[in-house]
Amino acid sequence: MRAARPAALAAIAAAILLALVPVVARGNITLLSLGFFTFLYVAQGVAWNILGGFAGYISFGYAAFFGCGAYTTALLWLGGWAPVATYPVAGIVAALFSLVVGVPTLRLAGPYFSIATIGVGEAMRILALNLDRITGGASGLNLPTVVPSKAWFYTAALVFAAVSFAVAAAVRSSRFGLGLQALRMDQEAAESLGVRTALFKNLAHVLSAFIVGACGGLYATYLQFAHPDSVFSFTESISLVLIALIGGLGTLWGPVLGAAVFYAVQDYLQTSYPTFHLLVYGVLLILILLFEPKGLAGVAGRLWRRTPLAWRA
Amino acid sequence: MAADPAGVESLMTALTLDHVTKRFGGLVAVQDVTIEIASAHITGLIGPNGAGKTTLFRVISGDVRPSAGRVLCFGRETTGWSPHAVCRLGVCVTHQIVRPFGELTVLENVLVGAAFGSGGRTAGRAARADVEEVLDFTALAPRRDVLASALTLAERKRLEIARALATRPSILLLDEVLAGLTPAETHQAVALVRGIQARGVTIVMIEHVMRAVMDLSDRVLVLNYGRLIADGSPAEVTRNPEVIEAYLGRDSAVAQ
Repeated sequence: MRAARPAALAAIAAAILLALVPVVARGNITLLSLGFFTFLYVAQGVAWNILGGFAGYISFGYAAFFGCGAYTTALLWLGGWAPVATYPVAGIVAALFSLVVGVPTLRLAGPYFSIATIGVGEAMRILALNLDRITGGASGLNLPTVVPSKAWFYTAALVFAAVSFAVAAAVRSSRFGLGLQALRMDQEAAESLGVRTALFKNLAHVLSAFIVGACGGLYATYLQFAHPDSVFSFTESISLVLIALIGGLGTLWGPVLGAAVFYAVQDYLQTSYPTFHLLVYGVLLILILLFEPKGLAGVAGRLWRRTPLAWRA
Repeated sequence: MAADPAGVESLMTALTLDHVTKRFGGLVAVQDVTIEIASAHITGLIGPNGAGKTTLFRVISGDVRPSAGRVLCFGRETTGWSPHAVCRLGVCVTHQIVRPFGELTVLENVLVGAAFGSGGRTAGRAARADVEEVLDFTALAPRRDVLASALTLAERKRLEIARALATRPSILLLDEVLAGLTPAETHQAVALVRGIQARGVTIVMIEHVMRAVMDLSDRVLVLNYGRLIADGSPAEVTRNPEVIEAYLGRDSAVAQ
């Protein structure tokens, strides 16, 4: 609601600049794949934040939606669909599943909800591992090998991130977003002022699950492979939580910054020191919880306020 | 006593409780209470601590479902409705322990009421105009951009009322809005309640500040151990021996 216009302009400018990268560096596969994964996590982190940040329901179960989306795309693709056409369907399947999960679990308060989502996420992974007729079980599904270029994937992920950001920005400045904020701070008070809290929580859940499901679809086409232990992994769920927490829970830009740091750190460190990035996340998380609950977005906000007015665009 | 608003309005029943009982396990918090509350009046609801006053409010607002009996607002049965539905029908309750949205500004707090209450379906311009009006009316306009968590207790209480008013209630249930205020603040709050009544809003208020409640109310209801023990004008109620006994003990009642 506050300072909506400059934020929108900054987002559009950033998206245009990033969209030019494949034109300039068409052959740089490393850069394009770094971009692809970063944007894929931006899209998901921003979507997760609609429920986790705006409404305050911290879910550790989004891998279930990612996996639903990945397998929907995988199966339709194998059935002869064009991959692009499967992404909306992947989103819808994930959204429907989120409704099945959300209607009972969103009645739970705070930590109880979080714990329930861990259960749902893990149950889905084990279910997928055992439904080998559909999912390929422990050997996964090999998908068609004819895929678009890395530049195409880069741009597609950028579009996903931009759409996700636009949706979150629209939610935040809307009546719906105001209702989510109110119910995060005091559900009973929000309800007594006329906010349909149960409906709003489920809407936020469905909306973010849709985006994460579509991302799962895109991921499956990029990898040309779907495996329960990878797309339904608990690590995937945790990643989204970390991205939002490091970036700034409930802020618009937080998950964007969070995803960039998260994936860049992982990409840079994982090759040389396979598990060192976990230590970095741990330290970052502790520092943020101790000193800046609004995460990197909070730090950026402080720097911005300290910038002399004349320097501000 | 407040002026009796003349006309057909005053004869209408705004709120009806029909043999309402609420049990929590073995404890009967509200027992077989039947009340009709007239439109555009101020009705005081008093009684010792634990008498079931707040529970009665929670039954009306939909926060708890009565174990038996019915609640009717403007002739429509609302028993078992969710609080948001009751609010949208035009019945809003303020909380005894104020519950501001701490990370929102005063203006945004009030906007929640305006955007979601019985008047609102948007957070757009119309809702904003309502918010401005309510902020002026409750004298919170100078504090509009302050975070609600930074308000004083008196201001928080006024914010609680402002938020409720922004939902455009026809019936307003005020739960101890005067408690903990200084005499000057109480005076201000009493004037505010009168101003709300002047707008044609039906008010039911739980209050322990006797002077204020006797002064404001057209009618006073007394609850004790979940039962309605007295119902009448402030003067009648204060003379009622059962009420005196409930508040001061048996000896005092006999001595009177």
